[in-house]
Amino acid sequence: MNKIVMLASAAALALTASHVTAQRASKLSDPRVRQAIAYAIDMDTIVETLFEGKAIVADSMIPNGGFKAEGLNAYAYDPDKARQLLQEAGWDGNQTLDVVYYYGDQMTVDLMVVLQAYLADVGIDMTYRRLEGDVGAQLNMLPEEGSDTSAVTWDIAYGAKAALALQEYYNGYRSGRSSYSPGSSKRDELVDAINASADPAVQKKAFEEFERFENEALSDIPLYYQQLFIYENERMSRNGGEYGNDQFNYDWNIVNWTVEPNENGKEVLYTNNAPAQFFEHPWLNPGIYVFSKIGLDRLLTADGSLTPKGGQLASDYSVSDDGLSVSFALKDGLTWHDGDDLTAEDVVWSVETAQKLPGTINAVFKATFDSIESISADGNVVNLTMKRLDPNVLLTFSQFPPLPMHLLDGVNPAEFQQHPFWQNPVGSGPYKIAEVQMNDFVRFVPFENYHGAVANIDEIVAFPSGENDANVIKNAEAGRLDFGFTKSVGDVKALEAMTHMRVVPANIPYTRSLRVNGFEKIAEN
Amino acid sequence: MLTYMIRRLLNTIPMLLVISFLIYLGLELTPGDAVSHMVDPEIASQMSEEEFQALREALGLNKSFIQRYGIWLTNVVQGDFGRSLSGGVPIMEIVLDRLPATLELSVFALLFSTILGSALGLISALRRGSVTDNGLTVLGMLGVSIPEFFFGLVSILAFALWLDWLPVGGRLLPEYDNYWDHVPNIILPGIVLSLMMTAGVMRYSRAAMLDSLSREFIRTARAKGLPAWRINILHAFRVALTPVIVLIGFRLPILIGGSVIIEAVFQWPGVGSEFISAVRGSDYPLVMSIALLSVFAVLMASLIVDVLTALIDPRVRLS
Repeated sequence: MNKIVMLASAAALALTASHVTAQRASKLSDPRVRQAIAYAIDMDTIVETLFEGKAIVADSMIPNGGFKAEGLNAYAYDPDKARQLLQEAGWDGNQTLDVVYYYGDQMTVDLMVVLQAYLADVGIDMTYRRLEGDVGAQLNMLPEEGSDTSAVTWDIAYGAKAALALQEYYNGYRSGRSSYSPGSSKRDELVDAINASADPAVQKKAFEEFERFENEALSDIPLYYQQLFIYENERMSRNGGEYGNDQFNYDWNIVNWTVEPNENGKEVLYTNNAPAQFFEHPWLNPGIYVFSKIGLDRLLTADGSLTPKGGQLASDYSVSDDGLSVSFALKDGLTWHDGDDLTAEDVVWSVETAQKLPGTINAVFKATFDSIESISADGNVVNLTMKRLDPNVLLTFSQFPPLPMHLLDGVNPAEFQQHPFWQNPVGSGPYKIAEVQMNDFVRFVPFENYHGAVANIDEIVAFPSGENDANVIKNAEAGRLDFGFTKSVGDVKALEAMTHMRVVPANIPYTRSLRVNGFEKIAEN
Repeated sequence: MLTYMIRRLLNTIPMLLVISFLIYLGLELTPGDAVSHMVDPEIASQMSEEEFQALREALGLNKSFIQRYGIWLTNVVQGDFGRSLSGGVPIMEIVLDRLPATLELSVFALLFSTILGSALGLISALRRGSVTDNGLTVLGMLGVSIPEFFFGLVSILAFALWLDWLPVGGRLLPEYDNYWDHVPNIILPGIVLSLMMTAGVMRYSRAAMLDSLSREFIRTARAKGLPAWRINILHAFRVALTPVIVLIGFRLPILIGGSVIIEAVFQWPGVGSEFISAVRGSDYPLVMSIALLSVFAVLMASLIVDVLTALIDPRVRLS
């Protein structure tokens, strides 16, 4: 009953409260206030009810697994403790926190209502609003160097950090790089430490220290780990292929997948994430779109948790002890789907072109490529000399696909995505494009010269329906969607109810949190 | 009549200019631009101002609003509608690619609703006060009142998922060998799109027919002993068609602009769904081109309605 009353009162507050944006000192710079907010929110109940159990309560930005520190304070729901901390911090109950978010789904609005109720219960008023327009600038505008005044106007931002590499969770806290968390020398040391070695044991220790530091500081208040749900029609089989983080690329054994033949004896698998107007290039989202996943190979492959585990296009690779020399030897006889040779020059050209792309490149790729001193091709070997150690160099090359230089050479980097190549791209993966009916479907067939075994399934047909659109459920019900992934709780429940579909959850590094503006003052709106 | 049509066509030019400017201004006033939609917020936090400027420069977004509008207008006058900002595809290629899908759906819906709506309106008027009339009136009210998306979802549930008679959506499939193979895909979206239009046409034609039947020339025709079918169809219905044609005429623009809701519900790859994507992505050359074509279609529909009205009703003189 208490929860219902709280939800109702929050809804009333949402209707009546006005948006207060005057320059202020909110005391969010006081860690006790941030801790009070964490204690005030009952994430166990939110996960159990709002998310119907399809999420995991977070106690750190780092997801559960080998790199999670032990003994972290989970800030279990304790409103009395929250009130006590607020009192100790001298919290001014007359101010109203401005909470922002950038998602467009109803679940986020529902979460805002619930958070509003929980915070009101301990004496914190908040309003919420969705950021529109130039979201990046509104979230990330940096303050002037040395200033105690934040350049962004909000108090708390609800958002996600989806990391390909764990360093992404914390690198943004480096002094002068965060819009909401003032720099500190101690944290800069911790950032240096997590980037100082490619040795997992050394990294683990550095991450644990960082987690403990942030567990007290709460620059971000971690809320929950979002899961990924892979759904498949019962008529298909991975034949032993593993399940993993389908937003990226891993060794999922697709060449050995099988599907029951149709009435014509043909094995046809239906999926989504085909293009509506153009194929999205794979250097920003390397594993979301169907062509990037099945039409392109990488130098290395990774396991389901995205740990590099061996060569894909590369037959061999090595990293020097100091991490400053990296080389990849390509397999013999590699070709692109159009029959041209896939060479070390293609790899060099791809890296050099990616280095010039403004904005539209994955952050981990960018960090790796920014660390490269020089790159060259020697026969079928690609040699990299690094300016500094990059702990994720192998991860990058397990996700970054080379593209055909002979079809893209001379492209203006600022107009990379606008190149005609992206109307019907040529790749190197186990499936090649046989037909493009833009905005209707794309038909893939096995690449007969693939360096691995030729794929089993005769055709993969992809429709433009995406991960979050309303067509997933009806297409799956109608047998027009045999395979895909989603993070939508509502879709997962509907898919689970279909007897011909199976749903497999996968833990991914995707943490939803409240970014707390810890500057002494914020800019006026 | 020719002079009138030429004058009307010339009048459309300033109207198109004003409307295109207003749409461009509306886009300018919306928060963000194409770059803010192209770059993920997390990545944007790591980009330098120079990189943002390079992207905006490449897409022509660094110029002032008036400069951009002037360049766009000059190019359009020369027949160059530009390229989509998101994918670089020529706008005309996108529109011409989507137009057949939209035309298929809209022509189907327009014909279906016109024939069925007129026939039902005629029957309803001739049986005024009967159970049939009352039943059709109720159905007509329901057709006008219930939103298209609801009809769409219910029809998918019933005919595609439960009965498995028709496809769940989409337009083309790899297994289709010829044009006629995809006719089953048109049926559900076409009928749903036409339902609301049918209801409207039926109510208009009923009212017009009742009005027509009460006129003195009908009484004269009856007094002369003409057969009932001749009086109803050739005399009364012909006059009753005038307001119906006006209604149908003003629906002609959907032939170009498509139906956003129906295309979304049925995954129909037409102009309407493309327009929504373009608005969401601030792809202003694409938004402008589709909007301009739609506005042109509205103005042309108005002209066609005037001409048709004059042809049907001898009392109307174009001047």
